[in-house]
Order: sequence, then C-alpha cells, then structure tokens
Amino acid sequence: MSISPARVLVVGGHPVILGVVRLACDALPNVQIVAEAGDGPAAVAAATSLMPELAVIDLDLPGTDGVDVLRSLRDQGFRGLVVVVSERADGATVLGAMRLGVDAYLIKPDGLRRIGDAIRRVLDGERVIDPTLEQAAVLELGRFARQARESSEIDASLTSREREILELLAEGLTMQQIGRRLDISPRTVETHVANLYRKLAVRSRVQAVSRAASLGLIELR
Amino acid sequence: MAVRHRMSRRPSPEAASPPAVRRKLGVVLIDPLPVVRAGLSLLVDERPDMEILAEAGDGLDGVDALARVRRSRVVVLVGLGLEGEHDASWLIRTVRERFPSHAILAMGANADPTMVSRALFVGADGYVDKNVDPGDFLGAIIKVADREMVLQGPVATAVGQIADSIDLRRDLDVRLTGREREVLAVAAEGLTARQIAMRLGVRERTVTTHLGRIYGKLGVGNRLSAIRMAARSGMVSVGSAE
Repeated sequence: MSISPARVLVVGGHPVILGVVRLACDALPNVQIVAEAGDGPAAVAAATSLMPELAVIDLDLPGTDGVDVLRSLRDQGFRGLVVVVSERADGATVLGAMRLGVDAYLIKPDGLRRIGDAIRRVLDGERVIDPTLEQAAVLELGRFARQARESSEIDASLTSREREILELLAEGLTMQQIGRRLDISPRTVETHVANLYRKLAVRSRVQAVSRAASLGLIELR
Repeated sequence: MAVRHRMSRRPSPEAASPPAVRRKLGVVLIDPLPVVRAGLSLLVDERPDMEILAEAGDGLDGVDALARVRRSRVVVLVGLGLEGEHDASWLIRTVRERFPSHAILAMGANADPTMVSRALFVGADGYVDKNVDPGDFLGAIIKVADREMVLQGPVATAVGQIADSIDLRRDLDVRLTGREREVLAVAAEGLTARQIAMRLGVRERTVTTHLGRIYGKLGVGNRLSAIRMAARSGMVSVGSAE
C-alpha cells in the first residue's frame, strides 16, 4: 500500500449506506473519502477533478441505474478500482458490472458489513467476488455467447435485399413506400417480408424490428 | 492418423453390470498432443462414472470417431491447439451442427480471454484450462455434461473481457459482409493488397475497395487498426492457440 492515503469516491444516496461506508473507511488506516456523489453527473465531475484511486458505488441508486453511472465513469476515463454494493445478484447485472471492470461486488446487507475488509483487500490487489456471483455471471456468459452466435447465424441467412427491407421497416415505411423506394412490386415486397419474418421467427413488423434490434442486427433510433 | 476406439458394446461378463454402468458419461477426446490425450485418458478411466469412448489427434479424425459413437450422454473435449483447415473452431462448429446433442468442452493451456471467447462464440458449452487441478478438470466435464456452462482456469477472472470480445465479434460479423470478412482474415496474415488479391483470386483494386469499406464500417483509419479489432474479437488469430 502506498504511503499517501488511498482516495475514495463514494457514489450513493442512501444515508445508511453512506454512514456504513464512512465508518468503514474511518476504521482503515490510509483510506480517505474525498467525495460523495448521489448521481452520475456528480460522480463523473468528482472523479474527473479529484482522480480518486477507488470508487464505492451503490448500484441501487434511486432514479438511476448504478451500472450506468459506472459506465459513465469508465467512458470519462476513470481507471481506478471499483467496489460495488447492490441487492442485485442476477447474472445479467453482475456480468454487466464485470464488463465495466469491478474489483469487488458485495450483496446487501451482508456484503455491506464486510465493506471495510473488501476495500482493504481490493487496495491490496485482490478481487473480492463471491463464487456464487461468479457462477451467475458465467451462466449469463453462456447465454450471451449463444445469443451472439444466433445473431450472427440469422444475419448470415438474410439476403442483402431482406436486410435492406428490414432497415426500411425499422424506419417505419409502409410496404408500398418500401416498394417505391426499392423500385420493386408490392408482391415482391410481400414475399421478401414473409421470408424475413420466417427467418426471424416472428409474425409482425413490430416483432421483426424488435427482434432484429435485440439481436443487434439493426439500431433503433 | 490412427483413431483408437475403446468403446465396448457389451459389458464384460465379470462386471455384473450394476445399473450405474449404463449411465456412464462418455468422453470423446480430440487434442493434437499425444501426452495430453494419454494423461486425460488415465484421469477419466480412474472414475467409475465416466469413460473415454474414442480419441483423435486432429479434427477430421475426431468427426469420424464421433460418427461411430452410439451414446446419448457424450462430452466432446476439444483441444484449442488444433490448427489448420480443420482447427478447433471448425471442429466445434461441426460438432454443433452434426451432433447437436453432445456437450462440447473446449480446453486450452493458459488461453487468453479472446481465445476462450472464440470457442464459446462458435458453440462450445464451456471452457476448462489444462492448468487446473485434475479434480476440477473432471468436475468441469461432469458439469458441462448437464449442459451447464463452465469456465474454469486462470481466465475465469476475465469473464467481463470474454463477454466484451464476444460482443465485438457479433458486431463485426453483422456489420461486415462475408467477402469483407474473408479479406480481413487474409489481411491479418500480414499480406500486401496484391498478395491478398492473388490469394482470393481477385484484382488488387477490388481488395483496396473492400479494405476501404471495412475501415469505414469499423470506424478505423488504417489496416493495422482493423486487424487489431478483428484480433480482439477472435475473428482472426494472430498467434498460436496454446
């Protein structure tokens, strides 16, 4: 550990949680809270100006998803250590946090009681993530991989015409407008659309656009 | 390359077949290194609940061996060191396609997150590193047999990076056409535009046009950046798998 105190940013709104974190940091030698932020913008501002070594983030911020706050911090260049506390223990949340880089993930309320120990260990270079959370993230990774492969396979099965029509459907054009835009007959448009629905395993335009977006084939504006 | 079959169709008379024998997990072992195969065979044979059904040293022999297996509960161990035209990715894809009921467990030696992401993306049900406790290795085989995702080894702490790599791969696959992916894969070997053109049997002008479109789609300004992005996604490999 370095001689100068490790500077900590706490991102959280709940007074009890802030209190627990403050107590834990007070009890640790060489750890100093330099800022407390209640939302994303405040967290980013504090991180940018104060450059803390470590951020404690409550994922269950009122009105904001703590994961989005973490994402903003990373996007704005915060490379420090991250200790996350949350009641969410589901694979999707944990994996989402891991993708943004976390060094500890603690589940409330038991995790909060151990936060001082977690901060100390993280500053020492350890990773503090419960095996059950790791396992949940791994299961989610499996699902994620399967979905990604599926997306890729469905995309490969679409002809370029079908892909064009999919984009135009997503823009909200009617079949007639699509026919005029691509200079093909309405009957031809219908055929392409039918094939498209079949390949996406859907039955309506809304489903097609929604499924294509969730597969990452198109972007919704 | 010789394929050894150790599958018995009838239990030996002295084995008095308790019901558990019929539920033995079958393992098909495909890895290029003979010592690895020998070691794993010994480990697996020590356990009463699993047995090696067949082993092979390359992808094609592996598929041949699988075609002869008549067992419902099978785990295919695929060594990521398989190289060439019928490499590990090819094998995993082929097994997924032709033998969809088999579980596939990719295995590597200190593989990095990108290599693992590639294995998972093409269809492996899990990854286990040879650099783990033998007991954990066998445990991984059991787990994946129940189609439960497994990630074991030093790379298990890099779950986030693996997910990122998979996401990038999917993104590239969707954005680039098949032809563009071909050009990028060959470019990653370090060939000049002319050499790429010769390899693919097209004009040099065509290659540079493709490359230009690729840079645009990937939001990069040069070939090196494009190749690095492809490498990070596992779409191309610029190194050995083990």
